[in-house]
Amino acid sequence: MRTKRSDTVAAYLFLLPFLVLLLIFFVVATGRAIYFSFTDYDLFRPPNWVGLRNYAALFADALFLSALRNSILFAVIVTAVQTFLALVMAAVLNQKVRGIGFFRAAFYMPSITSSVVITLIFLWMFQRRGLINYLTETLQRQLPVLLSFALILIAVQVVQVAWERRRALPATWTDPALLVVSLLVASGATWLLVTTGVIAPRDVAPVDFIWLQTRDSIPSGAPFWLSVPIPLAAIMIQNVFTTIPTFMLMYLAALQDVPKSHYEAASIDGANATQQFLRITIPSVAPVTFLVLTLSMIGTLQMFDQVAIFGDAAPLRSVVTLAYFVYDRMFPGAQTPEVGFAAAGAMFLAVLTLVVVLLQRRLVRSEGY
Amino acid sequence: MRAAPARPGTAEQRAWEHWQARRRWARAGLVYAVMLLFAIVFVGPLLFAAVSSLRTDPLEYPPSLAIPQLQPGNWAAAARLGQAGAGDRWFGGFAPGAVVPFEIAYFVPDGIDVTTPDVEVPRRRPGAGLGAVLAIEYAADYASVSELQRLPDVPMTVETSDGTTRGRRVAYAFTIRYEGDGPEIDRLPLDVTAAVGMQYLESTLTASRLERRGRTASFNDVAPGVLGYVLRNYVRVFNEVRSPATRQSLFVAWIGNSFTFAAVRIVVTLVIASMAGYALARLRFRGREAIFMLVLFSQMVPLQVLFISNYLVLRDGIFTIGGFTLSSLWGYPGGMLNSLTGLVFVTALNAGAVFIMKQFFESIPREVEEAAMIDGANHWRRYWNVVLPMARPALGALTILTFQGAWNDFFWPFIVLTSPENVKTLPIGLLSFRNTYGAVGDWGLILAGAVMSAIPVIILFVVFQRYFMEGVSFGGGKE
Repeated sequence: MRTKRSDTVAAYLFLLPFLVLLLIFFVVATGRAIYFSFTDYDLFRPPNWVGLRNYAALFADALFLSALRNSILFAVIVTAVQTFLALVMAAVLNQKVRGIGFFRAAFYMPSITSSVVITLIFLWMFQRRGLINYLTETLQRQLPVLLSFALILIAVQVVQVAWERRRALPATWTDPALLVVSLLVASGATWLLVTTGVIAPRDVAPVDFIWLQTRDSIPSGAPFWLSVPIPLAAIMIQNVFTTIPTFMLMYLAALQDVPKSHYEAASIDGANATQQFLRITIPSVAPVTFLVLTLSMIGTLQMFDQVAIFGDAAPLRSVVTLAYFVYDRMFPGAQTPEVGFAAAGAMFLAVLTLVVVLLQRRLVRSEGY
Repeated sequence: MRAAPARPGTAEQRAWEHWQARRRWARAGLVYAVMLLFAIVFVGPLLFAAVSSLRTDPLEYPPSLAIPQLQPGNWAAAARLGQAGAGDRWFGGFAPGAVVPFEIAYFVPDGIDVTTPDVEVPRRRPGAGLGAVLAIEYAADYASVSELQRLPDVPMTVETSDGTTRGRRVAYAFTIRYEGDGPEIDRLPLDVTAAVGMQYLESTLTASRLERRGRTASFNDVAPGVLGYVLRNYVRVFNEVRSPATRQSLFVAWIGNSFTFAAVRIVVTLVIASMAGYALARLRFRGREAIFMLVLFSQMVPLQVLFISNYLVLRDGIFTIGGFTLSSLWGYPGGMLNSLTGLVFVTALNAGAVFIMKQFFESIPREVEEAAMIDGANHWRRYWNVVLPMARPALGALTILTFQGAWNDFFWPFIVLTSPENVKTLPIGLLSFRNTYGAVGDWGLILAGAVMSAIPVIILFVVFQRYFMEGVSFGGGKE
């Protein structure tokens, strides 16, 4: 279509409010951040040009190195764990059943509430005498019961499958009908064993694991770049918990489009569940996987809220991320703000994000999706 | 392995079908069970926090769902006591003329001497932090406790891990009176201290906590009313946390700020995004591609890059030249930090919303507009009278997503709204709850505030679920 002058005038009138905002809060903002990153600006005195000094100083700054380490470990570990778990859970749930809407809504609950609400609730659960330690303790105490339940379950299932196969019925090891029977038998048998006192919960020392006010990291004794501070691990757990449902539902939508005949053909050829998962499920949702990986990497690299909400509940070094580092240098409490330094950190974060996105784009193209 | 038997109608065939049907049913059952399990895992922490927020001390160990605040016996007692204290069965209180009857029972093992417990109305400050600065009236100054009347003993035994202990149940009744004139006081705390060896069993209202190795049964309020008892932490959120200067309830101020911010941001977003989206979708003009690329690019730059300059923009009131500050035109001569107006300005740029509107306008057939064009309508009329009314579904979705975004927004309110306390929005207010009350371990207040602040979005989600799901595909599915 031809460009008309009246169209152009109208278009710019329609766009005026948006363009003004875009100019002030994006174009100028980006420009100023780049400029400040080459100066010694401190909010009060006019900026002086210092060249690349801020960027060089970043890599000599202990807090920045901690932030870089924390951000990278956080992004890589959280992305890997939540993508994998989301895919596995979606594969388990990939059935056309009635009433999925209700469950879908339930799964969404953590991701619609604000980061403050979720983080406060997790802070409470991670207290020394909180729910997480209590559940860990309970799990340790009930270990004998759980183990005997699992053993009975497996034994009953094996016997049943063997019996069905003797009758020449093609039962698989995870045959659902037999599994239901095995679950019932195992529950009953375990209950009987517990009430008769044959197996009893163990006596265990109370779990007093300190999640927040600690400078320790896991695995202990690992080199700096590979050790995850424990408070950061707590944020990882929280983040995985809140993000899995969203990604799981994205996977579920993709899986529902995979033709059932693929799985049927595979099972006729004798492929077991694991083989089907590796050979059919994973390749057919590859485009979604790349999307999930990109969204997850961007989100986790820029993690800020949880660090700010943890505040003095955990040592700064243990939870600081690149995003929080920028904030911390801009508003360092009683010290003088280091705006130039903060801007250099922000530019580093921006470039890192951009590189990750572009790398993933390139990867997607080369794989031909 | 073998396939289904070939001959239909035979007994073998029927058995095979039966076998298959059984597997389908079992699989459906297992899938529901797994989904239920996942749902419990994902909703569990929220629900558990909501239930624990009723507890006097949510950090009490071990965590449990069996809490006094959920026992109907305590509800009835709380209503009765509230009625006796101030004639208010819902929120209770302690008013002149009140006579509050109370009973407490102990288990006394054989061989232990019974001594009459010591009853006291203590002077306890409500909570710590933001509430502690307020001058308040104490029930202790007006209350008088009657003589304790010993009720008939009842023989009983107690099972412990060491075996059976014989003894008796010793109970006492007394009243707390408000004599003379005075102000109505909103709570009536009580401490009952018994001799060593007497074990607290029960009382008209379950004790809030046991202190001094179980000797002192301590009650936060023995005339609470039902809501004052069950929702005590919630009432505290509203009553205890007040601005030192104006005595205004801070939580109410935060709720107001959050709603105002969300409402203004919705209007601003709808207007700007629909106009910009219309131009980008429908009009051909020079620079269109460049602007669109800028829109896409602006979504990839981290907030941290932008916030440095944008913070300064607000501080300087957009800009200041020769003593003139632009924002003084709309009443902010000293810059726009710590104001909702500033917050609206700095969050008004919403490239994602423009993108959504552009996508939607492109899905409307051009013929609709061409009819109006023939009638000679100009661009504004075509936008306002033709296209916008058709965009109601998109505007609805955008309204809901913007509300959720504004209500939950953390970063910008955190930067812009720092002092005084009453300019904050709910998430930032909750953060100052954590800073003041988390340090002293008073999690009841924090959880109650968190649960309340989650409610509006949850309601919105339940009603408009569809829009939230679409929001995910808006954000993600367009790659």
